[in-house]
This record gives sequence, structure tokens and C-alpha cells, in this order.
Amino acid sequence: MIQVEHLSKKFGDLVVLKDITIEIKTGEVIAIIGPSGTGKSTFLRCLNLLDQPNGGSIAIDGVNILDAKANVPKIRQKMNMVFQSFNLFSHLSVMENLTLGPIKLRGISPKDAELKAMELLKLVGLAEKADNYPDELSGGQKQRVAIARCLAMDPEIILFDEPTSALDPTMVSEVLSVIRRLAKEGMTMAIVTHEMDFARDVANRVLYMDEGLIYEEGTPQQIFETPQKEKTQAFINRVRSFTYQISSPDYDLYAMNAEIENFCEKQILPKKTRHSLLLLVEELLQIYTPGLHGTRLDLAIAYSEKKETLQLTLESSGEAANPLESNFLPDELGLTIIRNLAEDIEFQRVNDKNRLTVLMRKTL
Amino acid sequence: MEIQTKKEANATVVTITGRLDAVTAPVYEKAVIELITAGELKLIVDFDALDYISSAGLRGLLVTAKQLKGKGGQVRCANVKGTVKEVFDISGFGSIFQMDDSVAFALARLA
Repeated sequence: MIQVEHLSKKFGDLVVLKDITIEIKTGEVIAIIGPSGTGKSTFLRCLNLLDQPNGGSIAIDGVNILDAKANVPKIRQKMNMVFQSFNLFSHLSVMENLTLGPIKLRGISPKDAELKAMELLKLVGLAEKADNYPDELSGGQKQRVAIARCLAMDPEIILFDEPTSALDPTMVSEVLSVIRRLAKEGMTMAIVTHEMDFARDVANRVLYMDEGLIYEEGTPQQIFETPQKEKTQAFINRVRSFTYQISSPDYDLYAMNAEIENFCEKQILPKKTRHSLLLLVEELLQIYTPGLHGTRLDLAIAYSEKKETLQLTLESSGEAANPLESNFLPDELGLTIIRNLAEDIEFQRVNDKNRLTVLMRKTL
Repeated sequence: MEIQTKKEANATVVTITGRLDAVTAPVYEKAVIELITAGELKLIVDFDALDYISSAGLRGLLVTAKQLKGKGGQVRCANVKGTVKEVFDISGFGSIFQMDDSVAFALARLA
């Protein structure tokens, strides 16, 4: 149905979409997820030509819509959009909002347009609001009217740009249930959303966007249960990270501890967990310290809010050697404490660096 | 970390407050070795106000305990509790050191 190839878009010097290639088939429900500012909305707006792409091609049923001769209003009828902020005409009644497009753009008679509008208002549960004005509706009701208005144009695909992010939490479910219903009826949809549970239930395919690319895509199960790439994993597991660089054996332990404490405070980690983390970090650094002359040690602490896990990664240059297996340790004391605090310890040689990954045991 | 010493009738009580870690362990070692050198051979280390101990702190305790033993002295640990006790237990120090629930108990045992 829609074939996008090497799509790119920049605003001035800012490259928002680098190279997007994707095919959307009839009947597919695609959820587009990812951090803010990674081009998800811009991608939808480019599909609908609300933003003009800088490169690549978009073909709908084999017709390149970026062609200068393309009939843009006609294309927009095929591919309608629901916006975050509803974009209803405030001076028109709900009924007029729904009938304006079909009458003016599709040449449908006012009577037929009204019949169809009433049918659609019933579908979204708002038949009794036909004569009201948008200002008389709640946010959730406005968004349902916007969806009905979109359907009034008989689109082949609906693009949803964060349809619930401007809504009060109590109104999110009424809008999502309308979208779910459309999915069941086989409507082709591309939905940019931050509602992860919804994306998982409703989509056939999930696109994770990052760095202006479709960074990873797969079934909801693949993306939410077993994401393969680093940034997808960090996003799905809601990972927050802390990094610290040490380049001398005389590093300031207390300055580093203060930063770690600050990081823990932001993640609202319990006092006992903070204590174990500080102890684990100190013990690991004690083992690394004698070898810190002229080399750099990168410490990263990653907290997964979803899994409630803390993972420490220590990366150092130098000859391949697992510091925990070194014969130079003064005694087993530090190692005993580390093993007790760790659930799992893994050593790898990656890009000429020694990488030690320690998953901290959960504190009770 | 702060260290306070108080001479009792039959021993010297060393109270440590705060953290005994890689930074403060050498300070602790130095202070205790000075006491031993000055002839204080019966020591009670009071952990009541200690919030944190790492392997560096444990090593400091071990070094001073060995020195004392070499001179025929004794050390007892009082009020080891909470996370500090957990580190003692993990590392097996709970069975190496003589532990007491209070300074008063420790003093009584050294009498």
C-alpha cells in the first residue's frame, strides 16, 4: 500500500529523518515508538506531506506522491491524520466538523454526509453531541470527534500523531478503545504513541525510531520482550544511566559517591540499595586502582526502572585480562564482597578493551 | 570519619564515626597503631556510629588486630550492626573478631 524509500527530512541544519525505508501493507496496524525528538511525528507529517521531505520517495499504491504533479489534496483524503491537539474547527458544531470535508472535498450531498456523520458519531459513542461545539466537550470527547471526522473522509489509512498525549489520564482509555475497535475492523493505521501497553496490544508491527532512523522493528513481542539493539533495550526497559571516568589511582572517591548518590536519588532507590551500590563500586574500583596509571576506566551504572535492576559496566584499556582473576589482588576480601553483592559477573574483551559487566543482586 | 579514644580502667575504647573506606582506613590504621605503640594493648572498637565499611576498612581492622596480637594484646568489636554487620558476615569477619553487643559488655569481657 505505502512504500517509503530512503526518506529524509531536515529543518535547516538539523537532520530529523536520515534514511527511512519501510513498507506499510493494507490492514496493518503499526505502532511507532521511541524517545522524544527522534522524528516520529515528522515521519507521519512527511507521509501526509504536511512537511515536505528533502529526499527519498513515498509511493502509495505505486504512485510517487513526491512527484511535482501529485494531487496532494487527493492524497490527504486517502491518508488522513489525527493530531495530538485534536485540531477541530471551534466555530463549527460537531456535525459540521464531520460533514465539511465530505461535502466540500468529496462532493457528497449534505443529507448523505449527515447520515454518515451520525453513523460515525455512534461508532465513537458521541451521537448525542452532534449539535454541541468543541468547547463544550472534554478532551477525550474532542479526540473521538476528531477520529470520527477523519473516518468521514473514508481514508485508506489513518495516521495518529500521539492521539492521547494531550489528554487527562482518565480520558485516555476512551480514545484508545475507539482506536482498538478500528484495528479490529481492519483499518490500516500508523500510530505514534507513548502508551506502551496499548502499542503492544493493538499493533501488528512496532517500529522503534531513534537517531532519525527506524532503529529496530519487529512484532510487538520481539520489540517489547526481546529487543535486540542497545537503544531499543534501554528505551523498553526504561534504563537510566550514570557514567563516570577515572584516569588516576588518586580519583576522588567522595566526589564520585556524591554523584552516584544523586543519581540514586533521582531513581528513588532505597537507602539499602544505594549502600550496596556504593560498596560494590568501591570494591570494584579498589581492584582496578593499582592498574590505573596511564589508563582510563569508564564506569557506567544503568538502572532499569522496568526490571528494577542495576548493572555496572567497567571498561578499561590495556592488555586483555579479567581484573577479577588477577593474581595481584592483595587478598580475597574485596572479591568476596563483590561476589556476594553481584547476581552475575561477565568479562568480555570488546574493541580492544576489557569490559566487566556486573549485575547487582536485588537488595531485600 | 572521626576517631575518638577514651581510656577506661582496663581498656581503651576507640569510637569510629562515619565511614571506614579506602580513604579513611589509612587514617584509622595510623591512629590505632599510635595507640598500640604508646602501650595500649587492650582495645575496644565501638562501631555504634559507623555507617559504612568496605574491604579497605576491614583490612585496616585486620592490620591493627595483627599488631596487637604480636604484642600480646587484645581487641574486641562492640555494636557491630546493620549494613556494617552484613559486610562483617559476608567476609567472615564476624567469626574472626570477638564481638560484643555493647561497650560495657566488651569492657566486662576484658576485665
